[in-house]
Amino acid sequence: MKDLMVSIGPQIKRGSAELAILAVLAEGPLHGYQIGKRIERQTRGLLRFNLASLYPLLYRMEKRGWVKGTWEDPPGGRRRRYYRLAPAGKRRLVPLREEWGQFFRALNRLAGVVHA
Amino acid sequence: MPDWRGIVRDRITPLRVGEKRHEDIVAELADHLEDSCEDLVRQGKSESEAVQFALSTVADWDELRLGLQCAEQEEDIMNYRVKALWLPGVCTSVLSMVLLRWFQRMSPAPPVIWVWHGTFLVLYWRWLLCLPLVGAFGAYWSRRAGGKLVERVLAASLHILVLICVMALGFCIGLVLDFHVSFSLRLVGFAVYVLAWGIAPCFLLLLGALPFLRGDAAESRRAAASH
Repeated sequence: MKDLMVSIGPQIKRGSAELAILAVLAEGPLHGYQIGKRIERQTRGLLRFNLASLYPLLYRMEKRGWVKGTWEDPPGGRRRRYYRLAPAGKRRLVPLREEWGQFFRALNRLAGVVHA
Repeated sequence: MPDWRGIVRDRITPLRVGEKRHEDIVAELADHLEDSCEDLVRQGKSESEAVQFALSTVADWDELRLGLQCAEQEEDIMNYRVKALWLPGVCTSVLSMVLLRWFQRMSPAPPVIWVWHGTFLVLYWRWLLCLPLVGAFGAYWSRRAGGKLVERVLAASLHILVLICVMALGFCIGLVLDFHVSFSLRLVGFAVYVLAWGIAPCFLLLLGALPFLRGDAAESRRAAASH
């Protein structure tokens, strides 16, 4: 998987990472570490974020107004910066899901032809 | 557990963002590392192993710092350049050109200085006297918008620098198209025009800008942000 991710262009990688973050935030607010863990769990370890890949992207998405980060003090926990999907992020998620759906359907069709 | 904030702060500094934003980023990244470390300890690793592993997830801190910087300034860079350079620079240019046109039309004929072999110079001295104020206006605007030294200088003198470039281009084109005119005459003409329309106005603009070239850009940016 690592080799595959290396060979995928940066635009596709960034696009897929944005989709992953928006998709997990659509389920509810999470802080940075939870976002990384949730993505890793839901993709069964195929997609992993670390500090260097997650935060620059999160901050960029925040600048674009797709997500909104706020510091919160959960009861009995440390003060954290929780991220929520902003209205612009919700609007962005719909076509992004559709585009990626089409992309993977196209790849599946292509793979089917190759294997036939 | 180590001082995660100190570790992160040491590694990502200098990050060119506001002080508060810098501390927020440090706190957030430190929390992430601490969570990662605690998870590893829960999974059975010793604390020192967990710390080493958590730190090893960032292969290149410089790359992370650069990534954060780009993310923070992705859209700000354009806004910043527009606010601190292009807007004051263009307005200063317009002001200077309007003043020149006004003096050309409204004031008595300016003195003409004959330089050499038909090369002459029209001295718009009233316009030249106004230029320090124009330069001060551009540099002040740029500083107020958080411009650094280079932006303040450019904002004050943008149109003259453009004019010098145009004159240099004209000189080069003239060498090719108008080759029957002697090179020495052309060179003297070019030097005189650059001096009169380039260097002297630029000097006067920067003279006016001088009081606003000092001062901390970050401080100005904070002041601009607070307005």
